[in-house]
Amino acid sequence: MKKILEKLKKIDRRIIYLVVFLSIIIPILPGFDFLIFPVAPTKETKAIFDEIEILNEGDAVFIDWAFDPSSKAELLPMFEAFFKHCMKKKVKVFIYYATINGINLGKESVKKITATEEFSWCREGIHYINMEYVPIAADIRIFNMDVDFKGTYKKEGKIFEGVETLRDIDYMIGLSGSAYHFTHVDMQIRFNYKFGIAVTGVMGPDFVPYLQTGQLTGMANGLRGAAEYERLVSDKYEKNYYGSATKGMSSLTFSHLVIFGFVIVGNIVYYMDKRKRG
Amino acid sequence: MDLKAVLDNIFLNDIFVTWIPVLATIMIMSFLYRDNPLYKIGENIFIGVSLGYGWILSWEYIIHPFFIMPVNDMFVEFHFWDITNILWFLLALTMFFRFSRKKAWVANYYFGFMFGYMAGYYIPIAIQNILRQSTDLMKPMNQGSFFESSKWIVIIFGTFAALMYFFFSKPHKGVLGKVARVGIVVMMIFFGAAFGSTVMGRVSLFIDRALLLVDFPMQSLVCTVAIIIYLIIYFKFFKKEEKIADDESFV
Repeated sequence: MKKILEKLKKIDRRIIYLVVFLSIIIPILPGFDFLIFPVAPTKETKAIFDEIEILNEGDAVFIDWAFDPSSKAELLPMFEAFFKHCMKKKVKVFIYYATINGINLGKESVKKITATEEFSWCREGIHYINMEYVPIAADIRIFNMDVDFKGTYKKEGKIFEGVETLRDIDYMIGLSGSAYHFTHVDMQIRFNYKFGIAVTGVMGPDFVPYLQTGQLTGMANGLRGAAEYERLVSDKYEKNYYGSATKGMSSLTFSHLVIFGFVIVGNIVYYMDKRKRG
Repeated sequence: MDLKAVLDNIFLNDIFVTWIPVLATIMIMSFLYRDNPLYKIGENIFIGVSLGYGWILSWEYIIHPFFIMPVNDMFVEFHFWDITNILWFLLALTMFFRFSRKKAWVANYYFGFMFGYMAGYYIPIAIQNILRQSTDLMKPMNQGSFFESSKWIVIIFGTFAALMYFFFSKPHKGVLGKVARVGIVVMMIFFGAAFGSTVMGRVSLFIDRALLLVDFPMQSLVCTVAIIIYLIIYFKFFKKEEKIADDESFV
């Protein structure tokens, strides 16, 4: 027992890295598909899904893309699932970028989705539009209800028929890995638009108070939120649709179990060592 | 063949776009074993590419559409309000005075304008937000289930207790001490939730890289083996140093 205790105390950190690495990589290897399991959606994520479900064909959704490739792992799967859902519902999607490093990532993602056979009918300027970039500190002007989208962005397309300003937007979702969307939550009081959010796990707890007051209609938190959304889309439209978030959830679960295990073992060793020392 | 086509052929071919991300990922991950030159190369490439990419995008999406184009349009058809383009430009230029020790105060005009504008815009909204959050707490408590009602007690008492922890006008003894103690527990629960979410976020970042490695198995295997051989050779023959204590190695 004493020997084990000593060994555990001096365990090389690289062994811990290796175990965590294996717990992440093994569930996503080919042949380990049986470890992929869909997660149960929370009411916060379902609230976003329901908001899109009640929209009719031709209604407008505004996506505020405020993340760059550093948050891609958590937010891109959510964007993909959300965009696909909007396209399946045939609602118009306006994508606006609040960070320059995210523009090409966004455009590429949309291009990748619309290149698939299922969404090959989607046309830019008719079903969705990339509205480019407005500097993050100046974008509050878009919340001026009288600013004409078409005029501001100098874009043309059938998509602008019936949608001129923010008043004509039926739902807005923000994707970000920072505190940036607090502004949008605050502005929501003034302009009364419906606003949901998809954030990285780090920012999730900070936005919870806004859910209780109804300032946010829903929230998808991190990779888990994206996996939940994929599950909702899968259940309703596309059986066995597993996006990268659902694939990643098994890795996330096993890596957390390993981390829990190390925390528990570390605490046991700590207390046993403390008792031994008296 | 123009330069753009040549560059596209070099950087957008299948070999480049599959091998480089895998190699760069494993180069950076080699730090987990120990700091080594390959990691340094990867780190510097990352910083260089990020800055270069940022500059190009800034030109394409900020300077060109928001300054060059409007100024260019001024010469085609002039309107009186177009002068504001020049005013904003001059205001932005004041930032460069930060480089001078004697004239650094000129940049304060920019900051003064920005702070004034933002404060004027946000203060009323922030107050509205506080009122909205407060009014939501002022609901009848007997609505819904016992769990729903108890939630409000936790929120109100938890907020009060956490605030009492920061009340230093009286010593934390007696009732105040006990309430402040509850405040610490409330804050620790929040920090725990935030930390748990952060761990989830960091693991998610690695999952993204892991998915890339799994998507290109051959490249991953070759790069991993090559980098392991490199690390063995480097630490065996080139870099001989005393064993670093575990708690010092990652400072």
